[in-house]
Amino acid sequence: MTDTPIHAIHLTVNGIDYPVAVAQGRNLLSVIRTEIGLTGTKEGCDDCECGACMVLLDGQPVNSCSYLAVQAQGRAITTVEGLADGDALSLLQRNLLDEGGVQCGFCTPGMLLSATALLQRNDSPSEEEVRIGLSGNLCRCTGYTKIVAAVQRTAVEIRAAARQA
Amino acid sequence: MTITDPSRPAPRFVRADGPDKVTGSGRYTADLTLTGMLAAKFKYADATHARIVTLDVSAAKAMPGVFAVLTQDDVPDVKFGPFVQDRTLFARDVVRFEGEIIAAVAAVDAATAQRAVDAIVVEYEALPVVNDIEGALSADSPLVHTEWAGYGGVDVLVRDRNDASFASIAKGDVDEGMAAADHVVRSRYVADGCHAVPIEPRAVVAQWEGNKVTIWTSTQVPFDARAGVCETLELPNSRVRIIVPHLGGGFGGKCGFHYEAHVAALARAAKRPVRLVFSRREEFVAPDRRREGIVYDFETGVKADGTITARRVWLALDNGAYTADAGFFSQLAAMHALGPYRIPNALAEAHLVYTNHQPSGSVRAPTAPQTCWALESHTDEVAAAIGMDPVAFRKLNAVDSGAEGPSGQTYGEIGVQQCIDAATAAAGYGQVLPDDEAIGVAIGWWPSFSVPSGAYVKIDGDGSGQIITGAQECGTGAVMTLRQLAADELGMPAERFELVYQDTSVAPYDMGATGSQTLFNNGRAVVAAAGQIAEQLRNLAAEQLEASPADIVLADGMASVAGSPDRGISIDELAGIAAGGELLIGHGSGIPPGAPATVGSSCVGDLGMSAWVAPQFSCHAVRVKVDRDTGVARVLHVSAAHDSGTIINPIGAQGQVEGAVLMGIGQALTEGTTYDDQGRQRNAALLEYKLQTCADAPPIDVHFIQINTPDAGPRGAKGLAEAPNVATAAAIANAIAKILGTPVRQLPMTAERVWEQLQGDQGARS
Repeated sequence: MTDTPIHAIHLTVNGIDYPVAVAQGRNLLSVIRTEIGLTGTKEGCDDCECGACMVLLDGQPVNSCSYLAVQAQGRAITTVEGLADGDALSLLQRNLLDEGGVQCGFCTPGMLLSATALLQRNDSPSEEEVRIGLSGNLCRCTGYTKIVAAVQRTAVEIRAAARQA
Repeated sequence: MTITDPSRPAPRFVRADGPDKVTGSGRYTADLTLTGMLAAKFKYADATHARIVTLDVSAAKAMPGVFAVLTQDDVPDVKFGPFVQDRTLFARDVVRFEGEIIAAVAAVDAATAQRAVDAIVVEYEALPVVNDIEGALSADSPLVHTEWAGYGGVDVLVRDRNDASFASIAKGDVDEGMAAADHVVRSRYVADGCHAVPIEPRAVVAQWEGNKVTIWTSTQVPFDARAGVCETLELPNSRVRIIVPHLGGGFGGKCGFHYEAHVAALARAAKRPVRLVFSRREEFVAPDRRREGIVYDFETGVKADGTITARRVWLALDNGAYTADAGFFSQLAAMHALGPYRIPNALAEAHLVYTNHQPSGSVRAPTAPQTCWALESHTDEVAAAIGMDPVAFRKLNAVDSGAEGPSGQTYGEIGVQQCIDAATAAAGYGQVLPDDEAIGVAIGWWPSFSVPSGAYVKIDGDGSGQIITGAQECGTGAVMTLRQLAADELGMPAERFELVYQDTSVAPYDMGATGSQTLFNNGRAVVAAAGQIAEQLRNLAAEQLEASPADIVLADGMASVAGSPDRGISIDELAGIAAGGELLIGHGSGIPPGAPATVGSSCVGDLGMSAWVAPQFSCHAVRVKVDRDTGVARVLHVSAAHDSGTIINPIGAQGQVEGAVLMGIGQALTEGTTYDDQGRQRNAALLEYKLQTCADAPPIDVHFIQINTPDAGPRGAKGLAEAPNVATAAAIANAIAKILGTPVRQLPMTAERVWEQLQGDQGARS
């Protein structure tokens, strides 16, 4: 690591600009967790299999364990810490709690980002579309039933809110 | 009895730790950073059975940035193990599985620590590898532990060479019972081992201040972890504090004592805080917590009318290289192999066998899902032998309230028959299905564990409360539910209570998130502690209201005189009064219910598993479709009916069943560890060891049969987290066997195995 070039870059995480110096080979996950200091993004496998490290890059879900930090320069990075509006939970965060879709909570950040991206590209997903959309995020606790219910309920409420607006 | 309707929405219960978990503000162990903190890495054996000829750590120690390198020479020479004291923190002379730790390094960062690990020189002399469970029991097998006879251990364990724990349960006369049968059915089944796979990999952080150490760790059992540190580093309990930040799942895999002592020893040697974070591969190969592979031979005698006359079972469990908490698994597996049936003549013999595999240990309902899979597959074969419908056969032979079980325990009110009715009705059992689909049915059972547990409750001057409990939350919500118990006891809203938990230095003992015991035992403790405060509040209110304490009712945040609702005072106000005098502090433990009696049976190697307090029952009915071209089995629908007593937190209880069922589907179809010829795992990665995804998961109907259980926990609750993991794989197997015409005799029933069986059948037909 000591021999690899260090790059001075800027990362924009949840709307805040962070200047960081990172080695070329550093993954985005480790820079978010260490230099940026946001630990909501989790490492579950370092192998792109579990989705616990998922973040959004310009709204697209990405496994940050397998994405170089230097590649994320100039992109809008969203982590779980960026989902709530101040103290007000997002609709999806609230519904995930209310439906009982959180147990140990370790997959929850990645799951929330995956579902947020899903709902942004499709505000009326079928159950099958939700299940396929979340299939990159492993949860060992819930059996997914209540997570799927929370996402579907959120879609209904987003559409209702849009009609009222 | 009530059967809850799954279509009726359960009352909403938002967990107290929920906001932390959905905002990312909740800290898990790997999220913690301390000033000056170093990174730990372990040197693993890689060899599965070898004598260490050379172990040279000098080059690693000399590397810049390396603060400590430890081997067994640097820690007390203590052999440990809850049932057999057969291992040390680091291997000294012999390594016995690939994930055994030889040395530990603390360095400035993880990369430096890994380079130092790579610089450690180990030379081995190969020893013969014990890679086969049954072979290990043969008289000429090499020994995994040549010095086994000298090991300390639990007295009642029956040990002999590679057999670390033999247990038997015997009742009646099996030979006579077989002779009285019209049919005797024999079956052989083999279950591969598998893993807990919590999504959070293990992490430990240790920091010394003077002669005291604080250890933050991802354990399910903080007091057990403390006991392990104290035993191996020879420290008194008072100098070791275990704190568990949020725990990212465990499923049994994080039970026991794991690496806390290694990291504490590194931190002491380095004079710096040290953090260990496991990779996913380490999660697979290193911990002594893997679901044990088991080999089974079943023999059941049955009358033409369907009555079971006798059952004989022989089974051998893969203990792996060391005896972790698996010491009692032989007796537990023996009970599961006999099953929740009326069997007048029974003999189950179980061996826990040393091999050069990773050690086995508690994974969600240890021994039960694979043994239920084997027994219930066998049960369908027995029913088929006499031409009886398998559900009718179970209804006829399963235990019921007042019946005597296979170990001679007579049950109080139990709900297994109702579980069968509810699950099969919900699944539409009996309906005509396409010939590539079938509904399989299985029943399961699981004990409630009655053990000591403690809690404090206090109400502060502002009327807000705290529950200070030794209990551990692993995600199930069991600790979260404690608020409801205290609140109901005191007539206060649950939201007025904060939970202080997972810290051995502030709370009394609890066994931890293991054995589905939290609500059963710590619930009892919290109710007792809250009850003391309730008495204080009634006395205070009686003084204020000039009434008798016996007439004071605590409800809706008020203490009122019974029959005179206008004569009342708020609990907040009483708390304020108490803050100026005798403080509102309660402590509770309660007396755990004792073990039930067994009559007419005898047990060898008896570790208390032959009689179950408040046993839980279940029936799963699963609809499966098999693709005959590929062998892929897909679960289309699951109906799960459970008698786990009173359900206190319905949404949490549903979540336990749904999660356990999906884990059971994984165990049934995709999750199995395979070994190379040296006993190394060949699929120690999530790419090769496949968990079920959201897209794989079927709809799951959950039914709770709530009956009045004797000796249950608070309000009639039994345990719950493990029971729903028991019967799913078995029900899937019976569906697959119906579609294929014969059972798949190896677990998991992978596409390859199903396909091979389909090819074999076609070969036989052609």
